[in-house]
Amino acid sequence: MVDRFWVRQESLSAPFTLPALYTSLPPLRDSLVTESSRLLDQTAAECMPYLTLTKFKTRDLNSHGLQKLRRARHIEFANDSLEELPGYMVVLDASRPWMGYWGIAALSMLRVDLVEEGYRERTVDTFRACQNESGGFGGGHGQYSHLACSYAAVLSLVAVGGEAAYETIDRRAMWRWLGRMKQPDGGFTVCEGAEEDVRGAFCAMVLCSLLNLPLELPPEEMDRVGGDGTLLSGLGEWISRCQTFEGGLSDAPNHEAHGAYAFCALGCLCILGPPHETIPRYLNVDNLLSWLSHRQAVPEGGFAGRTNKLVDGCYSHWDGGCWALVEAALASRGFGGSSSLDSLWDREGLLRYILCCAQNEWGGLRDKPSKNPDGYHTCYNLAGLSWAQNYHVWNAEKEDIDMTAPLSAPFSWSTTEKPDLPCDEEDRVAPMHPIYVIPHEKATEARNYFLNRVGF
Amino acid sequence: MPGYGEDPEWSDIVPLPQDDGGPNPLAAIAYSDEYSEAMSYLRAVMAKNEFSERVLRLTEDIIDMNPAHYTVWLYRAKALFTLHKDLRKEFDWLNPFALRHLKNYQIWHHRHTIIEALASDLDEKSPKIDNMIREEQDFLDRMFTKDAKNYHVWSYRQWLVERFNLWDCEEEREAVDDLLRKDVRNNSAWNHRYYVVFGRPNAPKNTTEGHVLMQREINYAEAAIRIAPQNQSPWNYIRGILSHFQQPLSNIKSLASEFASLEKPDEVKSSHALDLLAEIYKEERQLDCAGKAWDLLAQKYDPIRSRYWMWKKEQLGTAAA
Repeated sequence: MVDRFWVRQESLSAPFTLPALYTSLPPLRDSLVTESSRLLDQTAAECMPYLTLTKFKTRDLNSHGLQKLRRARHIEFANDSLEELPGYMVVLDASRPWMGYWGIAALSMLRVDLVEEGYRERTVDTFRACQNESGGFGGGHGQYSHLACSYAAVLSLVAVGGEAAYETIDRRAMWRWLGRMKQPDGGFTVCEGAEEDVRGAFCAMVLCSLLNLPLELPPEEMDRVGGDGTLLSGLGEWISRCQTFEGGLSDAPNHEAHGAYAFCALGCLCILGPPHETIPRYLNVDNLLSWLSHRQAVPEGGFAGRTNKLVDGCYSHWDGGCWALVEAALASRGFGGSSSLDSLWDREGLLRYILCCAQNEWGGLRDKPSKNPDGYHTCYNLAGLSWAQNYHVWNAEKEDIDMTAPLSAPFSWSTTEKPDLPCDEEDRVAPMHPIYVIPHEKATEARNYFLNRVGF
Repeated sequence: MPGYGEDPEWSDIVPLPQDDGGPNPLAAIAYSDEYSEAMSYLRAVMAKNEFSERVLRLTEDIIDMNPAHYTVWLYRAKALFTLHKDLRKEFDWLNPFALRHLKNYQIWHHRHTIIEALASDLDEKSPKIDNMIREEQDFLDRMFTKDAKNYHVWSYRQWLVERFNLWDCEEEREAVDDLLRKDVRNNSAWNHRYYVVFGRPNAPKNTTEGHVLMQREINYAEAAIRIAPQNQSPWNYIRGILSHFQQPLSNIKSLASEFASLEKPDEVKSSHALDLLAEIYKEERQLDCAGKAWDLLAQKYDPIRSRYWMWKKEQLGTAAA
């Protein structure tokens, strides 16, 4: 009690006004109580002391009265997550590439020099052991190749960069393996004999575009897949089928709309072409906007993954990343030009959720205050911070890269800082590429390397 | 139980130790000796493509220690098929396992593979198929009592509907009804209902039959709206239906007006009704009214989305031009 009183006293003396918008329950609430509403109310109650700053000491707050970004502790947390993990974490044994990527990406966002810290060699060694001769990367030595593992492996290698990292990847085998994952209906299975979903499609396009892989199908897959004989055949149409009656996107046709799958779907379309062309070509944009807008939770300000579900820090990235891509797609409808609006969503709300509710005092970020931090939530909350703190625009004029090659569209994004947010310079994370979620220049460097490489 | 190394049954196998990747690999795991040894034997049998009874036991052992190991699940499925095992027996350990590991999703793909194989060996009209489907439905209902929004379980249930043509199966709609009676905000259940009613191949559109169906489903959602008008799920459901039948939103103007009206701006009961009303005004070319409704949302009833509501209002100008 004594401790609590002291904290309160101190925070009361802080000269900050709390905006009602971010500290009040929604104006319209139904009286009927069900399991969903009980959990929603419980979550709002759990977050409220953090949103109203009663949990913090004055020295924890930035000049606008929000909790500071605990940069040094998050760096320590991310470094630790890449060291040897205790035995009870064996359930992550098929997800080690993910652990690697989340840590590497988090450190990049926290502006750590990966090469200086010795991560290049460790990354190359780790993923060499996960690669299969028959193409692709698995979750570890001797595990089947999987598109999600290959995605995490390649992004990590590209993020540390350099010839040794690039040359680790057997591109010819990767291309043949991708051909085996391609399905006649346009999508990709994530692993031989496993499920077909939009993660598979997105990860495959990330690999093709960053590694500049040939888009023709390997000859041995032509008859099985059919279509126009490329890895892109029927892909946009397949993504279309993942848009649900709610306007969001699901992992596969007819399933429930979900933030993480929506990001994969939009990311995939933004690799196929410029956002303002491919997104409206394959999706109903008005329905998408309606669904995406409603994922921002009140009063928490963070995002939820599905209708009537709870806010969770990881959707700071999945939904926040959708906003980065969708806002760029609206450029052709006046957004960023004739429109008086600089944003279509509440960036301050997300910023408040991440800084005040999602940070663990001792480092690492989390789902919500009652949960422990982990590598996944650390990476994706930090990414969400980057989407909130920056504008992302697609611009055809780029000088640092050849834009005539196929799948060049993702290399035309640029990022500018959004001013007028309640955060200080020290609370800002590095700008990230809105599709690859690694620094822009790392993606461009890898693309250029593989564009200039002769043969496989 | 002795380790694989001491077991004479495994004496012919040279285990393949793990290469974690260099002297200081990223996120290596300090495995238990049991796990490490079992995985070394798995790598060795996989390298020689062995499918045998002992391999089945090995996969079970590893899955028990790490249920998220997709490779082991896939290899186990291959072994079951190669050995022509009685696949129905697989459920004896799979079911309790699924109930213990609610968040695991590899298990649902495995189940899909096994059911598909069982079904493809049977005549579509065989009563054994009906039995199997009923058992599946019962098991899914049990899963939903533990987690009514489990994404992978719902995805599996959709596959079951499509694979076994359960579009007219009463149990499917009843299962959804049950869950919605317990929690009218369960959006996964709404999504499943939409799939069962409108997701079928050649779902009726603008026929008499289609319109009867449309009205029945609108009535269903209306009843749900009346008990909790701020619940977005049934509103989305109705808008989805109207779009499926290419009907104007003005069909439900009276419903929207019940919960939101510009004449009584202080008595709005549902932000979703107010947005719908704005869309109807836009459809009717009453752009001023549409703008006022979105203003009301931005300023009073749903300010977190004020920029989105203002965007919609701005776009009216584009529509008028």
